[in-house]
Amino acid sequence: MSEPLLVVRGLSKQFVSANETVPVIEKLSFTLGQGRSLALTGRSGSGKSTLLNLLCGLEVADAGSIALRDQVFEAGAAAAKHRAAAWARLRKQHIGVVFQEANLMPALTLLENVQFRAYLAGRDPAHSEDWLTRLNIGELARRYPDQVSGGQRQRAALAMVFAMEPALILADEPTGSLDRHTSDEVTGLMFELQARHGCSLILATHDAELAAGCQQHLDLGHLSGV
Amino acid sequence: MTGFLSFFRFFFLPRALLSHYRRHPLQLVALGVMIVLATMLWTGVNQLTSQARASLAQSEQAVAERRQVLRDDGGALAVDDFVTLRLAGVCVMPWLEVTPSPGHHLAGQRLVGIDPLAAHCFGNSVDGAGALDQPLDGKPFVDIHTAAGISARESRLHLLVPASTNPSVLPPGYSLAGFSASPDTGELGDSFLLNLEALGVLVLLIAALLLRSVYLLGLAQRRESFALLHRFGVPPGRVQRWLALEILALALLGVVPGVWLGRWLATGLGGGFGQALEGLFDIPLYAGQGQGWLTPVLVMLAVVMVSCLGDLLFLRFRQRLALPLAVQAVVAAALLVTGLAMAWLAPSLLWVFIAVALVFAGAGWLTPLAVARLSHWRARLAKKPLVLWRYRELAVLVRRLTLPLVALQFALAMVLAVQALVTTFESTFDRWLAQRLEAAYYIEVPAGADGRKAADWLTSAQERSPDLQWHRVIRGSALLADASGEGGRQVDVFALAPISSLIREWSLLEAAERHWETLAAGDGVMINEQLARRHNLGAGDRLQLSIGGEPLDSVIVGVYPDYGRPVGEVLLNAGLLPASFNTRFESVSVTPGRPGIDRITEALRQIWDVGALTTRDNATIRELATGVFDQTFALTRAMTLLTLVLAASALLMMGWVLFSTRTWYFRLLVAWGMSQREVAAQLLRLALLLTGGIAALALPLGLWLTWALVHRINPLAFGWSLPMAVYPGFWLELAVLSLAIGLSIALLMRRQLSRPAALPASASALSGGER
Ligand SMILES: Nc1ncnc2c1ncn2[C@@H]1O[C@H](COP(=O)(O)OP(=O)(O)O)[C@@H](O)[C@H]1O
Ligand SMILES: [Mg+2]
Repeated sequence: MSEPLLVVRGLSKQFVSANETVPVIEKLSFTLGQGRSLALTGRSGSGKSTLLNLLCGLEVADAGSIALRDQVFEAGAAAAKHRAAAWARLRKQHIGVVFQEANLMPALTLLENVQFRAYLAGRDPAHSEDWLTRLNIGELARRYPDQVSGGQRQRAALAMVFAMEPALILADEPTGSLDRHTSDEVTGLMFELQARHGCSLILATHDAELAAGCQQHLDLGHLSGV
Repeated sequence: MTGFLSFFRFFFLPRALLSHYRRHPLQLVALGVMIVLATMLWTGVNQLTSQARASLAQSEQAVAERRQVLRDDGGALAVDDFVTLRLAGVCVMPWLEVTPSPGHHLAGQRLVGIDPLAAHCFGNSVDGAGALDQPLDGKPFVDIHTAAGISARESRLHLLVPASTNPSVLPPGYSLAGFSASPDTGELGDSFLLNLEALGVLVLLIAALLLRSVYLLGLAQRRESFALLHRFGVPPGRVQRWLALEILALALLGVVPGVWLGRWLATGLGGGFGQALEGLFDIPLYAGQGQGWLTPVLVMLAVVMVSCLGDLLFLRFRQRLALPLAVQAVVAAALLVTGLAMAWLAPSLLWVFIAVALVFAGAGWLTPLAVARLSHWRARLAKKPLVLWRYRELAVLVRRLTLPLVALQFALAMVLAVQALVTTFESTFDRWLAQRLEAAYYIEVPAGADGRKAADWLTSAQERSPDLQWHRVIRGSALLADASGEGGRQVDVFALAPISSLIREWSLLEAAERHWETLAAGDGVMINEQLARRHNLGAGDRLQLSIGGEPLDSVIVGVYPDYGRPVGEVLLNAGLLPASFNTRFESVSVTPGRPGIDRITEALRQIWDVGALTTRDNATIRELATGVFDQTFALTRAMTLLTLVLAASALLMMGWVLFSTRTWYFRLLVAWGMSQREVAAQLLRLALLLTGGIAALALPLGLWLTWALVHRINPLAFGWSLPMAVYPGFWLELAVLSLAIGLSIALLMRRQLSRPAALPASASALSGGER
């Protein structure tokens, strides 16, 4: 077993809507090793996105702790501002997030998007075009997001994430809106590069076939509130 | 199946369309409010202008110069005189001016009692008495019997006769003289109205732009449901027809209360306006009804329909207009340049108005293109990706906020121009007053009395108390001996003696050296701006006149501004007047100093051996006039500020909504590790760039509009120009306002950043609109 990158203990999150509280994540614990991949499965509404948001600090947990690299985030601990800043630093340099769609700034070309992300992460933007080439869209570098297909956009989103050389990639149904064939191509590339660069990956998906490509599994299905 | 289809067509479609508003009631409210406010604004401005115009026209008739009968002994006229004249067969109309005593409920208002039965003397308004045929239920005209019954502080009877009256029919002891109910105050009011009217058109344009922007915003969010309907097989034409019906219904609902509100606003403010005109020009606002209901309702309905659905109506036209950006920019620039050149060269008022329209069209079209271009250019220079992102985002926002931005630009430009105009009018008006009311008192020289005797007495009085300032004013006319052989043209003569220090403070448009001295020595004359413009004369040129049949050839030593009068005038030393000069009016202007006005009038009364003198206290006139005119200016400012507020809130609303549609992307920056504070700072810079930029672009447009109003429209319409003044302090205020809008947008957005954003509606079908 490799060094653990991420250790989650007793994580809980609930949403308060109108007049009821909906528990979405309840006392969840798991560990993810460095360079390992984890498939997060569950029906729609089971809390996959919520968990990913918790793991990158875009949402704040109600209980439990998250240990990531050398940092430990305890729920309910004081200094929320300090914690937010620490999460922001992690997202900037070490956690790459890929959403189902709209991962690119629409007013920037694919290349400019990758450069922007690399710049924020403090990496050399000069390699940006290489990343696009590695994802087989080098010739589209100067197009705008609306001038390429959905699959090409998701490849560009992956190029952006890899260009920041992250320790952890959080991918939230990254191929959810693509057709089977394109989806397989894109995920294939993702697994390949993830393995080659030794970063960890959490892939949220409701697709069992995709999930099979990962080394670890976590099913949130039974937690579904709906 | 067909049954279902027809059911679907006639019932589901409108319901499907309206369901949008059920889900977004605020949009409906915003659109409705926009229609009401735009209608109110325009109706208000328009109502005021037309009301004022109507009353100006009427009062022009009412105060048109007529003839009156005077007693040769200079005594006041009384009922006996009326009887004597009537018995002699002269058709006279009594005109009784009364100033109610302080306790009276009409105190402070001058009333004129006339006898409508005697108005027949004046025939069928041949003579400008048309206004007098109207029912006498308004102030200041009342029935003579009402006027006579009022306990008056002061009352004076005039007996008017038709201009055609032959002096020989008068019984002995009476003579004819001119009569006008007011001092000659002229066109300053007309000019103000013309400018107000031009601004009314602008207000309409701004209202239309704002309406369109709000409507299009709603339409954009309904595009998906339209697409859905289309997939269900509903032809687009049918959807459009329902949309037209929908907006028509909304317009009907909004326009009528809007017009009502506008009229209410105009009446509320119009009281002040009417008073102002009345006080300044002695113009009664007794019949100012303005327009009816139909015109504003129809106009606004048309404006709402065209501004919202214009492109549906002219669909083909618009498709042809979908030119490439570069071509658009060239066309817009061509419009702008043509407009600018045309305004410069225009030979007539109509052309200037067309030029103004062209300039606004060009500027409004070019501005968003230019800003987008500029931000792309700035983006290309950017070294940091963050800066690149900011300017690209700016270009997107400018393109998508085009209409409200242009509306704000126009509104800002308009407010700038109006502010400059009103302030200019104010100072012009002050100067005009100072010029016209140069002394503390005017004392009319009664008919038959000798002004020279008064002059002699005043000369010696001045030796005793040097702070007494005075001069004699003799008015009449002369003929201009036109060198071009076109024949004589009549000009007014304004003769003074001596050339006292009272007028030496006049600011001149043009002056030769030692001009006052030359004028005092009788070696030169001055002319007013109108005469100078009309005959292209200036200081140093020579002027040939025929005064009382005698030729006068003199050098022009100065040109003085003479606001609000159409006539050319020559100012000269009264010593130059030949004995044959026909004096139309003579007075003495006095600033009494220590002796006090009472001693002076008493002395003059004795010298002239008359019972009473007509004395005008200029300080009260000035006070009254400035007081009420201030109200008019305040009113105009309020109107333009209302326009600005409307445009600003529209931009705020639209800006916020559009920024909100991009919240996902702003949140993306947070997901990429920028802190919320950093992202908020970026948004702030973006919003400030946007609104600050538009304020900066409004400035030249506003300055140009001021120039056009003051230096082109006014001279072409009236023959005299207003000074062009700029007020950078006010620019600063507007800049601050624009930045405040930007700041508000950024603050509103900051709150949204902390919440997870929904995916942008069009993310799955990314369209060009996103960049
Ligand atoms: N901001 C929120 N406020 C209230 N409820 C939320 C919020 N975000 C998610 N939820 C609820 O939490 C549950 C899990 O949502 P999500 O994590 O998006 O599920 P998944 O990604 O697995 O489809 C859903 O029932 C959803 O309605
Ligand atoms: Mg999800």
